[in-house]
Amino acid sequence: MKKLAIGLYAAITIALMVWGFYQAIYVAPVDAMQGEVYRIIFYHVPSASVAFLFFAISLAGSIGYLAFRRNHAIRAQAADAWALAGAEVGVVFCTVVLITGPIWGRRAWGIWWTWDARLTTTLVLWLIYVSYLLLRRFVAGPQMQTLAAVLGIFGALDVPIVYMSNRWWRTQHPAPVFGGSEGSGMDPAMVGPFLWNMVSWLAWGLLILALRYQVERQHQKLAAQDAQDALNA
Amino acid sequence: MDQRAILDHQFTVAAYVVTWAIQLGYLAWLGLKWRAQKREAPRTKGNSR
Repeated sequence: MKKLAIGLYAAITIALMVWGFYQAIYVAPVDAMQGEVYRIIFYHVPSASVAFLFFAISLAGSIGYLAFRRNHAIRAQAADAWALAGAEVGVVFCTVVLITGPIWGRRAWGIWWTWDARLTTTLVLWLIYVSYLLLRRFVAGPQMQTLAAVLGIFGALDVPIVYMSNRWWRTQHPAPVFGGSEGSGMDPAMVGPFLWNMVSWLAWGLLILALRYQVERQHQKLAAQDAQDALNA
Repeated sequence: MDQRAILDHQFTVAAYVVTWAIQLGYLAWLGLKWRAQKREAPRTKGNSR
């Protein structure tokens, strides 16, 4: 039953991805100012949104780990697995943002990169979570998960700064399209394709997040078994 | 198709290809990790007996 549900969800996700691609390429009209290249928005913005969501999941997992680590070992391990899965999959989506952004910027602005507030804070966010993953990879010992949880909490503080950066400061990066100042927004013909791609990338992200969580839980169980075997030997 | 439209198209394709390369690359890495764990699980259970 569980396998059937996972297979069904994966099939729906793939169908959504295909539909989202079709909407982005064939349904959304050409932008009057930017031409075809604006279609990068259908991958760039959803990837940023999903990355923010997953860093929030990592934050919740990190707080959960610190809250449960002394009293509820099983809950603490599950929270830690969510923290790691959120951070790692968030980094994957943030990497997409940091690569598709400069590709778009090169055509739209004539430059690959500029040290404006939005781009710089996003790069800092990526670096914080890459350092989180490196910490988890290379630090050994019982304090590793606690250190990672603390870093995960501080790292998440950058998310609202990234989100607000083009509201607080004048940036090369465009002002917010949604929820921005008067006159901001998107052509109604582009909103449908945009929302389909938001849904499809979220579905894809949740699929790989769940897979990463399962892999980490299995890793924890194997590590615990190894430790038990070492004690018994 | 004019030169500008060709360049726009090429940049869009590059962004989409890079996105899918990253996502599918990560999924493949996860799949390999998952498979390695599946192979390791019975051995660990065997050691615990």
